[in-house]
Amino acid sequence: MTAVAAKPAAGSAMNPTAMVVGVVLLIILLVIAAVVSPGLGLMALIGVIIGGVLIGFGVHFVPVGGAPAAMGQAPGIATGVAMLAAGAGLAGLFGGAWAASQGFAIAIITGGIGGGMMMAITCMMVNFVYVFGMGIPAASGKVAKDPITGDTQPEYKSQGTEGHGLPFVSFVGGVTGGILGGAGGTLIYLELLNLYQATLPTLMNASAAQVLPIAVSVAGTFAIGMFLVNAVLTAYNITGTIEGPHDPKFKRWPRAIVASAVASALCGLVAILIVITI
Amino acid sequence: MEQIVFGIGITALAGALATVAGSAEDTESNIGSQGDPNSQVQLAPQMGFVHRIFNKAVAGEPPAYGLWCALGAGLAWAFLAMQINAVLAIVLGSLLAVFVQGIYATTAYLGRTASLSKFGQPVYVDILKSMTTVAMAHAFVAIFCTVTICYLINVALGHPFPLPLLGFIWGITLGAAGSATGNPYYGKERQYQNQKFGAGVPISASGNIVRYAEAGERNSLDNGFFTAKFGGPASGLCFGLIVFLELWRTIVFDKISPGIGAIVVGILIILIFTVIDRYIEVWARKNYGPYTAPVKEAAP
Repeated sequence: MTAVAAKPAAGSAMNPTAMVVGVVLLIILLVIAAVVSPGLGLMALIGVIIGGVLIGFGVHFVPVGGAPAAMGQAPGIATGVAMLAAGAGLAGLFGGAWAASQGFAIAIITGGIGGGMMMAITCMMVNFVYVFGMGIPAASGKVAKDPITGDTQPEYKSQGTEGHGLPFVSFVGGVTGGILGGAGGTLIYLELLNLYQATLPTLMNASAAQVLPIAVSVAGTFAIGMFLVNAVLTAYNITGTIEGPHDPKFKRWPRAIVASAVASALCGLVAILIVITI
Repeated sequence: MEQIVFGIGITALAGALATVAGSAEDTESNIGSQGDPNSQVQLAPQMGFVHRIFNKAVAGEPPAYGLWCALGAGLAWAFLAMQINAVLAIVLGSLLAVFVQGIYATTAYLGRTASLSKFGQPVYVDILKSMTTVAMAHAFVAIFCTVTICYLINVALGHPFPLPLLGFIWGITLGAAGSATGNPYYGKERQYQNQKFGAGVPISASGNIVRYAEAGERNSLDNGFFTAKFGGPASGLCFGLIVFLELWRTIVFDKISPGIGAIVVGILIILIFTVIDRYIEVWARKNYGPYTAPVKEAAP
């Protein structure tokens, strides 16, 4: 079969062997954490994995059109998946870290809302530019009707394009992705901060107040790093562009969940090992 | 009460700085031709359209600005630790970060354009000399404003993150907001000014960017001049709203009702923007109308 004759697999097919290998790797990493640091370290790692999975899943919702969107050739936001998701998630992390002293749940929700707000403003401005700057209405290229509003789409697609702008379902997807990303990033930050606050004073032979700036900086840096790891992994899964939750590529999320869990576990283990004396 | 008023003042200042930063960022990325629309600048010579547009996709705008703002904030932080005056420290930090941006811009233009030599695309030294400095000047404004926002957030509002980390976070957000809002205007409206207004660029027209201006050949300064009228301010508005509303909801409503206040107001803000977005979408559908007659569904 030639490359031309080969049917595009659309990447939606799951590879059971790869999934099993992923799950086994995840278990191995968890066991290592349980052996090295049974209490605090293991709990932190589980939090980091959940946070990473939230980020990986959330990025699937964000409508990103890449370069074709910048020419009004495809719907979505005209930038890269990882970059936009990182922008939203880090804006959320900023809010979440600020609210860290107010309790675990409040901080995570604040982080989620911060990410959602960033995406709501950005998505609204994207449609603003398309409509008032370029005179182009929003149209999806993947569905005949908007699943939320029921608006028909094909007749609003200009000739020779796959659609443009952000239909309402993509807007909702963007906000959802921002909320999940912001909450996930904040969860990773909080888990690592708790760990570092507990372990650094003995490790560095200093008071809790003295190690606080270091704990905040290192936890923040790791949270940002893990955010980028998960966002990039998902960008590969959706091959660079996606319209939102209505896009057929969205169905690929289970693969990204396993990949995000394994990658977060590995990165999280490194983040834990730097403060654990074996 | 005094604390809240002080916080609101800082929030307003940060919002205003963010608006300027967003605007300068988008104009810089259009003059330097960074971000997704640059794919067409890179593609054009391959399709036989040799041009005089700057070509510097160092990286996507968010990571590029993440680097430059983190660098600016990090250096400013170091200068502050040396007991240098805060304003001077931020200016010096931003200045050094801009030199790095200039180096990236120069090497990106030379490298990317030289790679197109087999398609007959020359490297224009006058373009390099005249446009790099203008892009650097705009980048300085964007970086300086962003680092100042970070300084205000850290020192005046008491955010726990250190200055370089805040620089990285807001740099990435600046790039994300600027590229999301400004890219379509530069990519479609300016590069493809020869295509129909009110429609996307047909995929078959890819690479056929506008290369001639009113007099002579178009260059990237013309593009910056054009996008600064709409794409730049729109990007500024986007980033300004993000910074202002994020700080405002925390500063004001956290004092009124700790924790819950900021969350409730955040949800309300999301709902308000959802309504505005839906209004814009419906307005466009009503006023512009469909391109083709709607396909009638087959009767059951």
